Amino acid sequence: MRRTLALAAAFTILPATAAAGADLGDLLDRSREASYSAEQVINCSTPDGVRDAVVSLEQIGGELLVSGEVEVSSGAGGWALVRDGALVDSASVEAGSSDADLTYRVDDGAAHPFLDREAGLYRLYAGDVLRGELIVDSETGALLSVVTYNSDGDVYCERRFIEFDPTPPEASAGTLAATETLESTGGSALPERLGTFERLDLYEDDEGFVFAYYSDGFFSFAVFQTPTVVELTDPGALRLEARVYARSFAPGQVTYSWETRDGGLALVGDLPPDMHPEVLEGLAQPYAPGILGRIWKNLFG
Amino acid sequence: MISAYLDGELTRAEASELFTHFGSCGKCVAEMEGMQKVRTAIRSLPLIELPPGLLGDAEPVVVPLRRNRGFLVGAAAAGVAVVIAVATLLTPTPSALSVDDLNSRFGARVSLDPAFGPAKVVVPDVRDMTE
Repeated sequence: MRRTLALAAAFTILPATAAAGADLGDLLDRSREASYSAEQVINCSTPDGVRDAVVSLEQIGGELLVSGEVEVSSGAGGWALVRDGALVDSASVEAGSSDADLTYRVDDGAAHPFLDREAGLYRLYAGDVLRGELIVDSETGALLSVVTYNSDGDVYCERRFIEFDPTPPEASAGTLAATETLESTGGSALPERLGTFERLDLYEDDEGFVFAYYSDGFFSFAVFQTPTVVELTDPGALRLEARVYARSFAPGQVTYSWETRDGGLALVGDLPPDMHPEVLEGLAQPYAPGILGRIWKNLFG
Repeated sequence: MISAYLDGELTRAEASELFTHFGSCGKCVAEMEGMQKVRTAIRSLPLIELPPGLLGDAEPVVVPLRRNRGFLVGAAAAGVAVVIAVATLLTPTPSALSVDDLNSRFGARVSLDPAFGPAKVVVPDVRDMTE
């Protein structure tokens, strides 16, 4: 009888321990399942200046609707951008592999009230380097605040709820348009690892591009191998020795694009700027042909 | 025909026909007189001897007309090549993907990520959105 009680007590305590027990996977799983409405401020300090935005969020059933100047619906591998009521762009993919190995250690879970709600503060470390702080709502598991850091301790991006309503939205969060689904394939010239990032999925499209998704368990990015260079609007530049990469920051996201001998490469992700050089150095280098080389390339590819 | 007449290249019959025409075409007569004056003026110019040694001992070289024509054809071809090269440089090659395409595909894959949610909210840069 005593043994049964002990087992029952263990099973009763275990979920609570796991929830507050600094397991990043559990924290993120709970957050994905949460349903709520919120207003979020995104503020990022990038090498090219501040990028910020205020957006409305509705999350239900693993689907997220982001409303601001535009509306973005996403979830379960689908993504749709709506502006002025019209669908501007959409995409759909299938995951082909398991999740990345978690490279982060999570500390604490100390009580940290936020927006007059009970919440816990969790810190993410890569080795001894603080990379993130998550404030998790105790009732719903929603991530009320996420702060990401550069390796020098400076804040890169802060995503903070300024309003939060745990009542599940009445309708489906958004309408994901039916679109052709890209399926994950195997084999590519794109590396299986870039720095601490692991290649999880690879997609090939009839239009002639290859797209790989990388993650380190928290930050993630995609690399696109394209027949021609993707043009960025009003880009800045990152110089790594003699190599020059065009880049553009949006709130919460960076995009790189550069020409290679075989066409173009582009990178889109949420990784902090100090991680960029190591990742970029693992990819094909920028190529700047001379005038004759450019004529030859334009004529014959 | 006037030029041919002045060069003495017309037959008697052709010259007769030309003069018959002159009877009713004052403009043609005036044109012939003008051309005659120019020819007379050119012929009245003094002949100048070239200074000794200007040509040296060089043998005169006769350049066949065919070679000149080849040069002109080559120059024209080079001009066309330059035009094509400039046009090739200036004509932007079509991009297979736009920034929107990158965002949509990345966003779709992110929605399968364990960290998907408020931590992964991405607001597309409106400057980059093309219609």
